[in-house]
Amino acid sequence: MPQQIKRLVTVFAVFIVMFLILRQVLKPASFGELGHYRTMAIQENKDRELHYAGSDRCTKCHEDMATDKSLGFHAQLKCEVCHGPGLKHVLYADKFKDSELPDSLKLTKPDQRKDCAICHDLNAARVKIVFDTINNSVIRQVKTMKHNLVDKRNNEKIICIDCHNPHQP
Amino acid sequence: MTEPKSKISRRNFFKAGTIIVGGVAVASAFTPFDSFLFASEPPKGKGKWYGIGIDINKCIGCGKCANACKLENNVPMDPFYFRSWVEQYTIKKDGTIKVESPNGGIDGFTQSIPDEEIFKSFFVPKMCNHCAKSPCTQVCPVGATFETPEGIVLVDDNYCIGCRYCVQACPYGCRFINPEKGTAEKCTLCIHRLEKGMQPACFEICPTEARIFGDLNDPDSKLNYFLKNHTTMVIKPHLNTGSKLFYNALTSEVR
Repeated sequence: MPQQIKRLVTVFAVFIVMFLILRQVLKPASFGELGHYRTMAIQENKDRELHYAGSDRCTKCHEDMATDKSLGFHAQLKCEVCHGPGLKHVLYADKFKDSELPDSLKLTKPDQRKDCAICHDLNAARVKIVFDTINNSVIRQVKTMKHNLVDKRNNEKIICIDCHNPHQP
Repeated sequence: MTEPKSKISRRNFFKAGTIIVGGVAVASAFTPFDSFLFASEPPKGKGKWYGIGIDINKCIGCGKCANACKLENNVPMDPFYFRSWVEQYTIKKDGTIKVESPNGGIDGFTQSIPDEEIFKSFFVPKMCNHCAKSPCTQVCPVGATFETPEGIVLVDDNYCIGCRYCVQACPYGCRFINPEKGTAEKCTLCIHRLEKGMQPACFEICPTEARIFGDLNDPDSKLNYFLKNHTTMVIKPHLNTGSKLFYNALTSEVR
């Protein structure tokens, strides 16, 4: 074999061995088990914190409100749609009395006109939406920022929930 | 002057050639090249294969899904980072199309065009399509984004270098760079909730049940029932992304 070929072969061999060693050291654990990624990353994504509890958890303590709601048009709405994520509340609230419940564990009580307007404000895109195919119920709409702004008896400003019970609208 | 004759004979040349080519072929049978694996068809008929259905006819544009997504996944509340959002499409009588999505629909929609000018108007909720042949995972230079065996496209944020290729590659605009971490972020289909037997946050919260979530491999799943009973379509089918987000009543204006 000519001299120059021998040298080239040695150089290549050294490079390949170095590459294999470096690859072993630098390749992250669990890379390439299922594909071109770290399999561990799936578990890392699964380990994140939850915020929404699911309405079954609400019903366990607030049974009265749940039955109230199940009789009205808002029956198919989950509690957390309006009241916000409640897993912290579910996990820690029973350690406190109602009056001592810290603010961080309280859920939101949406009582402003804009909170109802999110679903019920008059909009051309909402006109024909049938949310309940069994009863053919169409979503009720109103110009929420103009509808009965003041109580005519005493001229005081009123909000939606003064007249409509949100659990049984 | 004639060419100098090669020292290696024709017979030996073919021998060496056959050994090299055959060796590579045999070796690749034991550990196939990753590129072959990657281009293969998605696994079907075994395990879970998640898909999504959205009924445009039922969406009231409350934006609760966009809000729930942000709260569940700690997405920055600024109005330009969304994993899930709602758009209002308004087709005017003069044929022009207006698309609007104020704060992703979280604060609700107010009708910006008077009734007389509107031909029709509807809401389209958008989110990651969890494509089976996703363009975003194919461009990642480091293997930090991938499709799980269950068909969920995820980001490995410990491994992402923040190069933004995937943000550019997604034809549906479903990715962004997290301003705090500097890494790519996207919908995970709430894989942390699925693990505990719950629905993803946006499906859990939808007040009109316009969003349907299920396993495409399970013939009795809610999603398969939805697909059987509606004329569904994916967005941008010509891109062959293998999208698994099926819309009912999708029109050609939506893109």
